[in-house]
Amino acid sequence: MLLDSFPTIKKVLPGLLILGGLVACDGGSGSTSSTEIPVATAPDAAPAPESSPGAITFATQAESGAALYESNCAVCHGANLQGSTLGPLLSGFSFVQRWGTQTPALLLGNIQANMPPGGSGDLTDSDYIDIVAHILNVNGVDGIVTGLTEDSDFEIADNISAVVAQRQRDEPPPPEGLTVAGNTEDFVPFIPLTAEMLRNPSPNDWPMHRRNFYAHSYSPLDQINKDNVSNLTLEWVWNMHEGDSEPAPLVYNGIVYLINPGNVVQALDGKTGELIWEHWSGPANRQDMRNIAMYEDKIIQATTDARLVALDARTGEQAWETVIADNSKGFSNSSGPIVADGKVIVGLAGCARYIPEDCYISAYNADDGELLWQFETIAEMGEPGGDTWGGLDNIFRAGGETWITGSYDPDLERTYWGTAQQKPWVPVSRHMTIDDVGLYTNSTVAVDVNNGELDWFFQHVPAEALDLDEVFERVLINRGDERLVYSIGKYGILWKNDRVTGEFKGFQETVFQNAFTHIDPETGEVTYREDIQNAQLNEWTSACPSSAGGKDWHSMTYHPPSGLIIAPLSQTCLENAAREVALVQGGGGLAASRKFYEMPGTNGNLGKVGAYHADTLEEVWSHQQRASLHTGTISTGGGLVFVGDLDRRFKAFDVDTGDILWETRLGTSVQGHPVSFAIDGKQYIAVTTALGGTSPRTVPGVIATEITYPRWGNAIYVFSLPD
Amino acid sequence: MKLGRLLTILISLAALSSSISALAQEVYRARLSPMPTTPQTVTEITGEGEVILSLSGNTLSVEGSFSGMSSSATGAHLHNGPPAQPGPVAHTLEIDLSPAGEISASLELTDEQVEALRNNELYVQVHSENNPPGELRGWIFLRSHFDNL
Repeated sequence: MLLDSFPTIKKVLPGLLILGGLVACDGGSGSTSSTEIPVATAPDAAPAPESSPGAITFATQAESGAALYESNCAVCHGANLQGSTLGPLLSGFSFVQRWGTQTPALLLGNIQANMPPGGSGDLTDSDYIDIVAHILNVNGVDGIVTGLTEDSDFEIADNISAVVAQRQRDEPPPPEGLTVAGNTEDFVPFIPLTAEMLRNPSPNDWPMHRRNFYAHSYSPLDQINKDNVSNLTLEWVWNMHEGDSEPAPLVYNGIVYLINPGNVVQALDGKTGELIWEHWSGPANRQDMRNIAMYEDKIIQATTDARLVALDARTGEQAWETVIADNSKGFSNSSGPIVADGKVIVGLAGCARYIPEDCYISAYNADDGELLWQFETIAEMGEPGGDTWGGLDNIFRAGGETWITGSYDPDLERTYWGTAQQKPWVPVSRHMTIDDVGLYTNSTVAVDVNNGELDWFFQHVPAEALDLDEVFERVLINRGDERLVYSIGKYGILWKNDRVTGEFKGFQETVFQNAFTHIDPETGEVTYREDIQNAQLNEWTSACPSSAGGKDWHSMTYHPPSGLIIAPLSQTCLENAAREVALVQGGGGLAASRKFYEMPGTNGNLGKVGAYHADTLEEVWSHQQRASLHTGTISTGGGLVFVGDLDRRFKAFDVDTGDILWETRLGTSVQGHPVSFAIDGKQYIAVTTALGGTSPRTVPGVIATEITYPRWGNAIYVFSLPD
Repeated sequence: MKLGRLLTILISLAALSSSISALAQEVYRARLSPMPTTPQTVTEITGEGEVILSLSGNTLSVEGSFSGMSSSATGAHLHNGPPAQPGPVAHTLEIDLSPAGEISASLELTDEQVEALRNNELYVQVHSENNPPGELRGWIFLRSHFDNL
């Protein structure tokens, strides 16, 4: 029942979306924040419609739902729906933007299919309806009286009074645009970062997310080496904005460019840590962005609401902005672009919904943001590979996210990306079988940078069934005459492929896995365990590794002098049970219940650093520890490997032996991607501490509960040798 | 034969027998840790423990301890299943009916169970009042497997 006398969010939502569009078009300072909810006048007093005594009302459902939410949802989403490092917020503008035009029935279906992650337990259908009522109530739905049903099909925003929604905002509007003005030229003369400089980076710089196009995460600097690393001392530290964060700093010509949570970019003097400029591109949330890119005179960032923004590297002023995909349809970004061949190439996430649009990799002109090409990662009917989706309508083909930035071979003019798995997570949930492999998910794709056309693909794990995607960085290595691409997905299998043809060249299991009974040594074809192949709805399947991944987003390094690939690995297992998902437009999701436990035979060691030779793939050394690893590994010309962990430790290993040569303890969990750079002949090692980080944090949080760390403390720490 | 020489021979035989026995004994270990859990249940499925298992012939001697469970133990079993793949009960173990205590047993394994033990296909599971399906679990490996971990 609607109370038409109340001004509702629905009536202002189009305006909000238009405002969002304006931000997307000009985005400069002075534009209205996309997170601002307009002030509405107080509504006229209106008598609430009466309901019969004892009848189930929205209010009674919401009251019951509050208690159910508290015991089942609050641990991850916060007591006030404000979100936490374990789960996103469920209130405020972002909720209204995402769900305002949807129905309670769709929200109910989504929650019922996906939450709580550990299984529905004793929750009844009625309980789920009550939880939905509570969420709507907290979000200002005050325009209905009669109780919700599983068929409630009104638009949620129709029943949110703007006045109530306004009460959700108890903080002042966040900053936007350039908040600290400065110019790097006051510190060092500016030299544009050319394509040639990206191809052959100065040893002093770390000018892209994995330092070079090949994603080696290797610095040739050797001033800090095995003999003196024990003398490392803190040079400076800079506290970053709070929120989820896995940052990969860039360093060019002595300036550190740093992506913060909430889409904030900062430029800092690498010698002193002094802030030069800061730019808020919005939305001002607490969400994660892993990396940014630099090209010529621009810093280019993807935003969490799927935009690309280019900033002047000298001043932080915005140069251009464009939309990657429609955030209101769930699309988002958590990783930034790579600039290859003068093109800004970026992936896309948030592709689990049943909507007509699919996920893609897209390329833009670095000068003005003009769209150049898109490569869709989901094969549709009638296209090559379109017959691998079990005959499902295109709208129900979901997944294939590209949530980790790819690499680039300028000689072959190919960019190499990993793709995520099909969605929902289990074949039976997606109304498919283990034979419906779903191209081009869970694959390496080699895409022509000139036109976005697929050159070749190799599907590592077809018809993925356990939320173990193969999306992570592609490391390009030349060994003799061979041009190769290496990757490790969540199954912890190190894959080696020819990067000219895609031909399978070998594999190595880096952690225990029991999902596959066979991996063909000639072809790389995997055979799932029979019970995984045939998993039905609500059937628990036990497997290793868990969805925290044998390896996850923490990138590995290639150390050219030794030929070793050194990877940060993780050892946990899961029980997984598929949930039912209806094939309805706007539905979809992930749809599995999950529980986590220690990996057998590891003595409870969640963290593993493993070194593998690029030729033989044999394990040369490994180090195991209780605390999970939360940074990528980097290696240096000084023969060192650096990595950080949940237990606040940042360590240096001997790249040849795995011996620990130095370690220190920082303010909170060490998380992100270390870098090394040099200024005026002095070498530095930098690393971030951070919170969030998705399942690699959630899973250790329920297994290694004795490891504690402050729930704040995002920062960058910079180390050097004493003068 | 003089008594002294006889004693020397007997002592030597005893020492030899002892060393043969030591050689024949295989020592295994299980680290007990919480059963699969979630953010919702992490405070309800708790504890840790260690079980040492010594195999002589087909006799398996079990000795272990546990602590920190959310409630008193109600039973413990040796189960048959490869790592991370739960399976049926093979034997019942003795356990203190408390949140912390000792686990013990002397079991006669079948030849198939001995083979399963050597293939890491046996595990220990502890049940409790709050968690009847199980609160602690640990797969069994040769103790030497853990030496460098």
